[in-house]
Amino acid sequence: MAPRESRSRSGRKADQEFVSEAEEILERMREDYADLDDQRAAGGEVDPDLINRLFRSAHSLKALAGMFGLESIQDLAHHLEDILDGLRLGRVSMDSPCVGLIDEAIHTFANLLESVGNEEALAAFNEPVEDLATRIAASAKQAAAAGDELQSLDIDSSLLRALTEYEEHRLRENIQRGRHIMLVGSTFEIMSFDEGLSELSDSIRAIGEVLSTLPAPGETPESQIRFSLLVASDLSLAELTEALDFPDADVRSVREGTPAVEVISAPSERDSASPVPVAPELESLRSISETVRVDIRKLDELMNLVGELVIQRASIGDIAARLLAKPQSAQVGVELSKIHKSLDRKLKGIQSAVLEVRMVPMRQVFDKVSRVVRSLRRDLQKDVRLEVSGADTELDKLIVEELVDPLMHIVRNAIDHGIEPVEERRAAGKDAQGCIKINAFQRGNHVVISVSEDGRGIDRAALFARAQSLGLVSAETELTDRETLNLIFSPGLSTQSEVSETSGRGVGMDVVRENVMALGGAVEVESIPNRGTTISMTLPITLAIIQSLIVAVGKHRFAIPINAVHETLLIDASEIQRSEGREILDLRGDALLLRSLAKEFELDVSRSSEKQFAVIVGLGEQRIGLLVDRLDGQQDTVIKPIQGPVKNVRGFAGATELGDQDAVLVVDVSSLVEDTLSKKEGA
Amino acid sequence: MKRILIVEDSPTMRALLNTALEGLEVPLKITEASSGFEALRCLPRAPFDLIVTDINMPDINGLELVSFVKSNAAYRSIPLVIVSTEGSERDREKGLELGADAYLVKPFEPENLREVVVDLLARGAQSE
Repeated sequence: MAPRESRSRSGRKADQEFVSEAEEILERMREDYADLDDQRAAGGEVDPDLINRLFRSAHSLKALAGMFGLESIQDLAHHLEDILDGLRLGRVSMDSPCVGLIDEAIHTFANLLESVGNEEALAAFNEPVEDLATRIAASAKQAAAAGDELQSLDIDSSLLRALTEYEEHRLRENIQRGRHIMLVGSTFEIMSFDEGLSELSDSIRAIGEVLSTLPAPGETPESQIRFSLLVASDLSLAELTEALDFPDADVRSVREGTPAVEVISAPSERDSASPVPVAPELESLRSISETVRVDIRKLDELMNLVGELVIQRASIGDIAARLLAKPQSAQVGVELSKIHKSLDRKLKGIQSAVLEVRMVPMRQVFDKVSRVVRSLRRDLQKDVRLEVSGADTELDKLIVEELVDPLMHIVRNAIDHGIEPVEERRAAGKDAQGCIKINAFQRGNHVVISVSEDGRGIDRAALFARAQSLGLVSAETELTDRETLNLIFSPGLSTQSEVSETSGRGVGMDVVRENVMALGGAVEVESIPNRGTTISMTLPITLAIIQSLIVAVGKHRFAIPINAVHETLLIDASEIQRSEGREILDLRGDALLLRSLAKEFELDVSRSSEKQFAVIVGLGEQRIGLLVDRLDGQQDTVIKPIQGPVKNVRGFAGATELGDQDAVLVVDVSSLVEDTLSKKEGA
Repeated sequence: MKRILIVEDSPTMRALLNTALEGLEVPLKITEASSGFEALRCLPRAPFDLIVTDINMPDINGLELVSFVKSNAAYRSIPLVIVSTEGSERDREKGLELGADAYLVKPFEPENLREVVVDLLARGAQSE
């Protein structure tokens, strides 16, 4: 970007002076922020000097930018100063999300500084800077509200000033409990206000708490007096106005309550016309009693019991079907199948309720990741920003926990190996700041979590060479691009010649893959040279109860988790083509690799028919077809781990019991898909 | 003669305040209100030269009373003393911000109260 010639030579020189000083300030801010972030992450108290230094830096930057007429920088610095001032004076809590915006502002300053002297480039930043400034201002306001909720209330300051400390405390307490705060006003004759006011106060006390009563002169001050009652209630403005039935009183909202509390104590379900008087203390006890913390193991036990019931329900279904099949017992069969259906509905209800309890949003994990990113950024001296989306995507608590390590590892790798040093990025014509995007979204019964970076991409040649030196491939091995990329999942492989402290060498992508596969998921990698790499993990939403397709090969039956099944096809033996030792099916123009379960598990099968079923399975983007003899329908299955000597047999995810009490093995789709795609038949 | 309104819910404290003020060498008429509400009703009845009020009272608190008095054109000029156990810096600040003219912390020295009252009465007389 060539600077425009509109600025004079001396102007440019001044710009340079400004930039060099501003850069020094920014550097200091980066360091201070990193320290602050560490201290926050460590959970300890943040050194007040640190915040004070950041505040002074923002202040200096503002003043400096002001001198040079750089409004966007000045403006942003000004808003940043506000947040830091709030933090410095304890008005804003260190837990406030606005703290993260400091980091964002520092990055934006860096971008702005790069464009100083180039009006056009600077102008391009107008919008994002304005946006950030707005967010900072809004967040500082919010944070101030959280720190001192009282300042954010929509009431006259004289009313706040007239609150005693105790009344203030009650007000805060009610705000924290998420109650609606309202102002009820009414004017009375000064000589007889007592009676009317008591009546008003008493009827409010039946549905809320009167926090304070502020008298003020009425319209005719000699004869009238006006009272403003500050009220806290679980009832909303509309509900309270209706319940109050006080025509002379005007009610207005000072602060909206938070709906979460409203749901717990369910005030809206109360008959607002004849409100039940509930003392505030009783109310709060009630809301506490309606949430409980539960040990996840208890939920597991519950889920297991539900699982057993699910299997027994299937047995009842079988018996009902047998009874129905015989004329002499058909009547009983009809009755039993009715009961079976009703049981089915109720069990599904319990099942989904228990599953729902186990679900937690990805947000907690993402928060951890963003802390790691910040500390890595500092340790590795890499300028990286993190963009997160889909934090509300929910997953089974157990899966989320198991996911933390793999995700952290992927992110570390992305920063350490993926994102290039600044000079290299600049030389490649990229934004100096690297970007890591984490995205979570639901796809059917799965949740996909992807980590993308805009780094250099995986160097295929280096990867291949390294795999060769480890003896994983030979020079003659011909691999497709995908196969080459999948080498990163091989044990002991790292493309970096030196072992970095961050990614280390102990845990590799092979461990990531193992962990994810243990959860019934799959990991995939995509990489475009100089554009970046994306690692996607596809995971089942829950591990508890899953639907399985029951297939049969000869007299052996297997369960295939239905969420891995894309479709089933009845095919003729003649449709199967053979190429380079692989069996291939032409699936609507695409070559689909086939795998025979009979061959895979070395089953002795005498085939009576030329017809076979191909079950198209796959997690993520990869698909293969599993050849089986019969499809035996779908069933709810609870996968139990295999114990004993066979537990490490590849290809099985576990065992499950079917409705007829028969135990069958559950096919591990991800390992089968992987084996099929990664090695040639017989290799 | 000076008219003084004492607003205090504790009868003992009212008596103490009364006694302390009687020590003044000025002819006084003291009106006692046992609550904020009562004080609100007393105000229009007589032009008071001084109000002495407590903070913690059952119906409205002393700060609210101060706010009312100081926001009402008819009473704004009446000097007002807060006498309260609320010794906290915060309440003191609030009271003074709302327009109270003096703040005494209980337990107070009667002599102190008298000094403050004499001072305020003199100021009130000057401004009239």
